[in-house]
Amino acid sequence: MSEYPHDAMIPAGNAPRVIASAAWHSLFWLVFANAIGVLISMLLLFPALNRLLGEWTYGRWIMVHLNLELYGWMSLPMAGFLFKVYGADRGPLAQWCRPVLWVWSAALAVGAYSWLTGHSSGKLFLDWSGYARIFFPLAMIALWLQLALSFARAGKTATLAARSAKLLGLVLLLIVPIVMYIASSPGFYPAINPDTGGPTGASQLESSLIIVAILLMLPFGLTRRKNGPARMIAIAWAIMVAEFILCFALGRADISHHRPAQFLSLGSLLIWIPLTPAYYAAFEWRANTRLWRIAFLCWWSALVLTGWVFFLPGILDHFKFTDGLVGHSLLAMAGFTSSLLIFVLVQLLGEGGWIFNRTRSFYGWNIAVLVYVLLMSSAGWREGFDPTFTIVPGAARNAVYLLRLIVGLVMLASSLDWLIDATTLLREPTLVYPAQEAAA
Amino acid sequence: MLRGDRHPSGWQGASLVAITYVYFLIFAQFAFLQRLASLGVAGAHLTAVMAAMAAAGILFSLLTPRLSLWPSPELRLRVGLGVSGAAAFLSLLPLGLAASIAVSLLIGAGLGLLTVTLVTHLRQWTGNRHPLLLVGLGTGAGYLVCNFPPLFTASPRMQAATAGVACLVGICVTLWKSPLPIADAAIPSPQPAAPFLRVLACFTALVWLDSAAFFIIQKTPELKAGTWEGSIHLWANGLLHLAAALACVWLLRRRGLSLVLSASFLALGVACILLLDPHRAALASVFYPIGVSLYSVALVAYPALLAPASSIAERGRIAGWLYAIAGWSGSAMGIGMSKNLGSVPPLFVLAAGAVILLPWPLNFLLQRKRELALTVAVLLAALYLDRHLIAVHPSSPLTQVERGRRVYISEGCINCHTQFVRPNSPDVLMWGPVEPIQQLRQERPPLIGNRRQGPDLAEVGGRRSALWLKLHFYDPPEVSGASIMPSYAFLFRDERGDDLVSYLDSLHESGLPQHLAEEENWHPSSSAIAAANANDGERSFQRHCATCHGAGGQTRWEAHFKRLPPDLAVGPYLHLSPSGDDAQRRDRLAHIVKFGIPGTDMPGHEYLSDNEIASLSFWLSQRIGQLSQNR
Repeated sequence: MSEYPHDAMIPAGNAPRVIASAAWHSLFWLVFANAIGVLISMLLLFPALNRLLGEWTYGRWIMVHLNLELYGWMSLPMAGFLFKVYGADRGPLAQWCRPVLWVWSAALAVGAYSWLTGHSSGKLFLDWSGYARIFFPLAMIALWLQLALSFARAGKTATLAARSAKLLGLVLLLIVPIVMYIASSPGFYPAINPDTGGPTGASQLESSLIIVAILLMLPFGLTRRKNGPARMIAIAWAIMVAEFILCFALGRADISHHRPAQFLSLGSLLIWIPLTPAYYAAFEWRANTRLWRIAFLCWWSALVLTGWVFFLPGILDHFKFTDGLVGHSLLAMAGFTSSLLIFVLVQLLGEGGWIFNRTRSFYGWNIAVLVYVLLMSSAGWREGFDPTFTIVPGAARNAVYLLRLIVGLVMLASSLDWLIDATTLLREPTLVYPAQEAAA
Repeated sequence: MLRGDRHPSGWQGASLVAITYVYFLIFAQFAFLQRLASLGVAGAHLTAVMAAMAAAGILFSLLTPRLSLWPSPELRLRVGLGVSGAAAFLSLLPLGLAASIAVSLLIGAGLGLLTVTLVTHLRQWTGNRHPLLLVGLGTGAGYLVCNFPPLFTASPRMQAATAGVACLVGICVTLWKSPLPIADAAIPSPQPAAPFLRVLACFTALVWLDSAAFFIIQKTPELKAGTWEGSIHLWANGLLHLAAALACVWLLRRRGLSLVLSASFLALGVACILLLDPHRAALASVFYPIGVSLYSVALVAYPALLAPASSIAERGRIAGWLYAIAGWSGSAMGIGMSKNLGSVPPLFVLAAGAVILLPWPLNFLLQRKRELALTVAVLLAALYLDRHLIAVHPSSPLTQVERGRRVYISEGCINCHTQFVRPNSPDVLMWGPVEPIQQLRQERPPLIGNRRQGPDLAEVGGRRSALWLKLHFYDPPEVSGASIMPSYAFLFRDERGDDLVSYLDSLHESGLPQHLAEEENWHPSSSAIAAANANDGERSFQRHCATCHGAGGQTRWEAHFKRLPPDLAVGPYLHLSPSGDDAQRRDRLAHIVKFGIPGTDMPGHEYLSDNEIASLSFWLSQRIGQLSQNR
């Protein structure tokens, strides 16, 4: 039985307005960040263009690009998911969801401006500094308050287990803005792999397990289990707990990837390649999520496998600091995370999920990501032998970067396609308004 | 069946719009002024004559909807055309001041009567099928005819006569059977209709901009040469007008009036800014006709077809106020401003933009009060926390190196440069020595980075002189031919540049002497030496060395060098042993190419492959050897 039985009462063709708003905000930032991505790949090909940008040079745009992808495109769909889980998208409090999204977007705009004007903490993906470093956690707290109030308002309508899980979730979510503030402090820095300067195997395992935890938790907020024994679900959670214990045992010291304990423990993640599809098969999904569900599971498998291979001694030493790892990051963000988020949004939007299911944008996006990853991997392979491949650009490097620019344009076009459709969806009078839904 | 259905083309409507525009543009706005100049009417007299025209125009625009005389629209239109035509023919006579004022009054009165009557009853002549398209065609055709080179370059008398004849043609058009009767209903707009006062303010701002720009172009020979001279230019202007007029029709149908007015402002605003510099007049001549035609179509279409009006009388009043205030007053103010200032100040363009564009976001925000309130509340809360609770002020002023490190972070250098020499890897020879991890952890934060678009900088202070770093920041390709780094010359407008150089200069470890010894032990691989190729070497020289060591290589900064980089075609070669054999010389050159000369401004090229270095040193050695033999 679905936790929200009135879902079934929403007529076909309708989609929840709050989720559509969250999708629109996240897509807006995706398009914006992708456009900047195109700009920076042009700057690498035609450095003379920097002269047109005044003080807003390449290095500053990179900060804007990376952070907007992470905190805009990749975070706002999760805000939509949380609205749904805590029931904030229904009833009288639903009218405050859009203001919360505005605050989040305003924080991103302030952040973007601060990075462009030279304010940064100096930490990748945690560049929040000065006023923006306070504003963004406050935006997170605004979201948290909306969720907490919705949770309190719902009272005892859900089961004890569901309420306990949500309460635990609220406690964890309250920690996030505090962690964000502390993590962007220059005085805090995670464990360092002394042979590469990058993360250790233990910290890679830890962050990967947090992703796994999110993957395991998502279906409970999106749909219901299929009838029958839930053995696969129990196995998955048990393995995850075991891996967290392993991770805890590894500690947080500055340890090299050459230590077998590091790369072997990271290899334990490979179990999730068969386990995740099996786990997701244990839940019911809307028919229109199929394409993106397959896509995200494929990207996830590729990410886990290549993530481990790229960490192995010899291979990491070859690819570190090269375009090879840039390609791998794109596989993680544009391949796996993006397809997962779109899958979540399609599930949440119901019939409104059509905005992501156009053939041209689906294949455009996924093929472009694949080509990008292959191009950067090949460039990284060359660069690993010869750093001049990048530092002193020649015809081969320029050809690779030109192709990268083209696939970047395809990704931008795909995201623009989604944004235009999301705008159309928001204008549809058949979208479910909070008041209508409450009446239903 | 309505009579309108038997005469669906509506060509009369398009013709009458075109004739009215031709009369106004080629005669009232252009030839009459030239004619007055040739009659010696200037200064205060000219002002009086033009004021008479404006006053009559305003008066008749406002009176026309209330006139009970000639209740038939056809008859009233004929009178308007007749008066206008008569004024054009009268201007051919040798006029004195009083007569000029009288003719000017006639022009204003005739135009007021003609324009307001035409747009009030336009559907009688356009029919109901494609009235918007016909207005667009009429407007575009009017501008195209005016830009027809023989007419545009004709004498003012010829232009006046043409305008008079056009009015007579207009009277004939009105004698044709008009498609009557027509239901008067506004064409539905894709956007909600804006309040009349806002539309009036937008049109006034646009006419103001247009008239000011027109007057300035007319009075400034350089601008006139760049915008209106030459047949090709005139044809291009005319076709741009026509295309923009048709585009306006499409936009009005699909996006509504607000977007047309905004687009028109953007085009006219850009044109006005470009006109500040005569060198950009040609570019302005692209934007100006687009902006003018966009709003000109709307100026007819709005009162005639788009404005919501409950009766013909109300439509007439809308047209009257629009033409009296936006048309006549806006035009007079634009001309007045350009006479007094000689240009359209950017601030005025901004103000016009605020009038036209601001209602959009304002409207949007007014519909999002809750969103706005919460956002402002959180913004203010963050401001309060930032100022009063969290802000930390450093107890002592930062050193230059610390300030430089902040610049390094601000500019996002970390996104292209790492600061981490991987132990037991080729990094050590290229970028070393290795920094102990404990020392790295003391940095706040460590600036390790994760991508190398450029070299690692952990030990850059040991490899590059402060002068070289500064030169490179100013113009990277000037000292490093292949560099893709952007110029950071702007940092040297204040202390940031020197701070950054100071920081980078400080990046070197105590293990440097030992590292220098390791460098000494390096030699190109024997396979690279065997494969060395002089042609490749020369290419590498041109790419990496000629920027400083070619003939006249480094002159811009010569006063700053400890010793100017020598032209390698001439020497001297202070760091080469004169007694060494060729192999020794090649090895020494290879060292210099790869690691530079410590203690001098000569940098290394650590990232080059053994093959490139061997070829480069081979070519250099050959060249230096030949030079020694010749001496």
